[in-house]
Amino acid sequence: MSSLTAPNQGIMDRIVYDDDIVKLFIYATIFWGAAAFAVGLLAALQLAFWPANLELEWLTFGRIRPLHTNAAIFAFGGNIIFAGIYHSTQRLLKTRNYSDFLSKFHFWGWQLIIVGALITLPLGYTMSKEYAELEWPLDIAIAVIWVVFAVNFFGTIAIRRVRHLYVAIWFYIATIVTVALLHIVNSIEIPVALFKSYPVYAGVQDALVQWWYGHNAVAFFLTTPFLGLMYYYIPKAANRPIYSYKLSIIHFWSLVFIYIWAGPHHLLNTALPDWAQTVGMVFSIMLWAPSWGGMINGLLTLRGAWHKVRTDPIIKFLAVAVTFYGMSTFEGPLLSIKSVSSLAHYTDWIIGHVHGGTLGWNGFLTFGIIYYLVPKLWNTKMHSVKLMNWHFWIGFLGILLYYISMGASGITQGLMWQAIGENGQLVYPDFVETVMRIVPLYWVRFIGGSLFLAGFLLLIYNVWVTIKHAPKKETISYVEVPPLKSDVTAIGSGHRKLEALSLVFTIILFISILVGSVIEILPTLSIYKYLPSSEKTEPYTPLELAGRDIYIKEGCYVCHSQMIRKLPFDVLRYGEASTIAESMYDRPFQWGSKRTGPDLARVGGKYPDMWHVRHMINPREITTNSIMPSYPWLAAKKTDYHILRKKFSVMKMLGVPYNDEQVANADVIAEKEAAKIYEELISQDKSLESIKDTELIALIAYLQCLGQKTPSEGVPQLSK
Amino acid sequence: MSDKDQLIKDHDYDGIQELDNPLPGWWLMTFYITIVFAVVYYSYYTFFGGLTSDEELAQKMSAIRSEQQQAQVATSDKSEEYYLSLLDKPEVVEAGKNEYMLKCMPCHGNLGQGLIGPNFTDDYWIHGDGSVAAILEVANNGVPDKGMVPWRGVIPEETLEAVSVYIYTLYGTNPPGAKPPQGEKVERK
Repeated sequence: MSSLTAPNQGIMDRIVYDDDIVKLFIYATIFWGAAAFAVGLLAALQLAFWPANLELEWLTFGRIRPLHTNAAIFAFGGNIIFAGIYHSTQRLLKTRNYSDFLSKFHFWGWQLIIVGALITLPLGYTMSKEYAELEWPLDIAIAVIWVVFAVNFFGTIAIRRVRHLYVAIWFYIATIVTVALLHIVNSIEIPVALFKSYPVYAGVQDALVQWWYGHNAVAFFLTTPFLGLMYYYIPKAANRPIYSYKLSIIHFWSLVFIYIWAGPHHLLNTALPDWAQTVGMVFSIMLWAPSWGGMINGLLTLRGAWHKVRTDPIIKFLAVAVTFYGMSTFEGPLLSIKSVSSLAHYTDWIIGHVHGGTLGWNGFLTFGIIYYLVPKLWNTKMHSVKLMNWHFWIGFLGILLYYISMGASGITQGLMWQAIGENGQLVYPDFVETVMRIVPLYWVRFIGGSLFLAGFLLLIYNVWVTIKHAPKKETISYVEVPPLKSDVTAIGSGHRKLEALSLVFTIILFISILVGSVIEILPTLSIYKYLPSSEKTEPYTPLELAGRDIYIKEGCYVCHSQMIRKLPFDVLRYGEASTIAESMYDRPFQWGSKRTGPDLARVGGKYPDMWHVRHMINPREITTNSIMPSYPWLAAKKTDYHILRKKFSVMKMLGVPYNDEQVANADVIAEKEAAKIYEELISQDKSLESIKDTELIALIAYLQCLGQKTPSEGVPQLSK
Repeated sequence: MSDKDQLIKDHDYDGIQELDNPLPGWWLMTFYITIVFAVVYYSYYTFFGGLTSDEELAQKMSAIRSEQQQAQVATSDKSEEYYLSLLDKPEVVEAGKNEYMLKCMPCHGNLGQGLIGPNFTDDYWIHGDGSVAAILEVANNGVPDKGMVPWRGVIPEETLEAVSVYIYTLYGTNPPGAKPPQGEKVERK
């Protein structure tokens, strides 16, 4: 930054960077970070200590967990990405942001969406698709705000005064383009009410599209933008040159091209066709080196500045963040190997893996950037270096406890699920026994999370005091740079030339992420046409559909899968492996990603209705050691029959074979179905009069039909 | 060579410079190996006869089913006399009671008085003649239509025997709130 000294040559442009928007996004990062971590801690406590569900529908784990993931990824992660992009892009392109209005619109729009999530998720308005839970009005708002961000960002590129785009900008472009595609494709849904819609994809299609989205939310929301930030803030903070420009090029393009294919590794050993699973697995393995390219370039940039790791807490945060990135991106390919996945999938190992990435990589990088930016933006020094060091060590210990406890929990429970004795029977057939074994580890995780949050509180205090004591007088800082010359010879050749041609660069990038997306998703879109008619499934009855939507609303899928994998120990425990046909009318799919409770794909007919009544009202009455929340409100709230006609007509439009009569009478049919279940229950227990027409009855109708919808299936014959 | 020698000219972004270091050899080798692995693995499983997931599951399940059959043959020749002899072993009855409280009590009541499921304390039986063997049969295979869970494979065989013995001891206890008789009256031998 130069002062008022006269320029040496030519006419210089005087630029004032917009740092107010960066400050706003920093405030938002800190505010939502505290919220996201606190909600996460509540969720952690609920698993260790079930009464922490508080018997309040808005605060049960099934609704709190999505709130935590959304807040952590899009509120905490999103705001620091925007802060860092708006701060670094202006400086890397030597221009003020394209439009202050769009920046502000982007900021306030994004915060409103977060508030929308904060209200709707606890109320149970959810698509049940992970990291894409928000319902259609918010999906539209996200798309609009993302486009505003894109216009502002590419507008800034258009008015740049630096010919060539630096590697950080490449990663920002990849983020903006790909997230737009992912969000829009995954959110194509037909509304049935203000906060209820059905996705156009069903069953295996929905699963594939969702995990194409879900995995690449990790890739293009938690990885590429943060790599971009790394490429700006590490060399700035360490005052060292980037280790290898060549490595930047190779790992950037290989990363964005390969990442988009890796989604199906979330669906290994399921009913997803083998070829797609294998593609997901091998691309995940090929992703190892491109990911490590980023880590190597980050860490080796610190070469010659290693002594600062001891003395400078900012470098400490950044270096450890990059190391966690390396750990997670080694563990990721490992977990994508089919046999490793058969042990780890549905267990806490995955939770540990994700938090190694989010707490270690995203969290620590964010903290490093905040400590770097706050003194710069407020023209002062951090209040206390000592507190920064304390934050580092407390947070680091918290991550270790989290990571180790969840790894141990996942492997312990995974091995117990797998164990088959010499008699060909499961060694631990009673699911709750495997839960009891890991509850102590849930407490360790809770302590780890508490430490991470405690460290963050130190950051809040430190930043607050720093800003409070910052010089009150606003000094407007500006730089003077020469305008961009239209000098063709200076463009260079090869990749260098591409870096100067932002539009061509963006188009090539778009094509490289489109290739994997199209090849993977397109074949599944016609998959149901080729199912043999003997495998065809009965669509849901009106009451079953009503119950299914309650299942989704309560977030049952957060803890219960509906996918019996093609693995002997899954088949022994839950019955025949799930088929594609069985979920062909499932909008959204409910395969799940975690088994805190047992799989429910074939729970239908396994227990009497009365069992479910008592179990939903108080699970402990049936299974003494259950950690499931109680759902007493289900026995009080009436089912909305009226909306079923609308729901049925939307389903019919989407291709479910309902006839006009069924659509027109959906509400009447549902009421009759409910009456039948109710009368059977009341004949067994006269005191249950109040559950007539309640959501509990609809939910039972749904649970009892699971696994009963295809001709060849029935109650699993465990010993045959 | 010092870093200065390798700085790339004209690469200066807000003061950030870049070095001209080559790709690390071991890194490049890792990348190549994973690509070769990917091609070989995918080709084998997709084009050259690698087992499909269905075939692999079928193979493993048939091995497990035959283990289960062998194990069943070994334990299926126990007589009613043997089961009744367990009545004299308090530790067996106690173990049966413990498991009953965990798994049976929710439907049959803490005293066997019947709740969702039938009463165990009277001399009317829906399935079988009330012998330990008959109780064990229902405990093993369940009555899926009525919601009785088949516990075979979920509760170990020996524990199921203990539970059946415990249930046998409940006969004639006349607990309060007993469910009215269901099924056929049987003479207990």
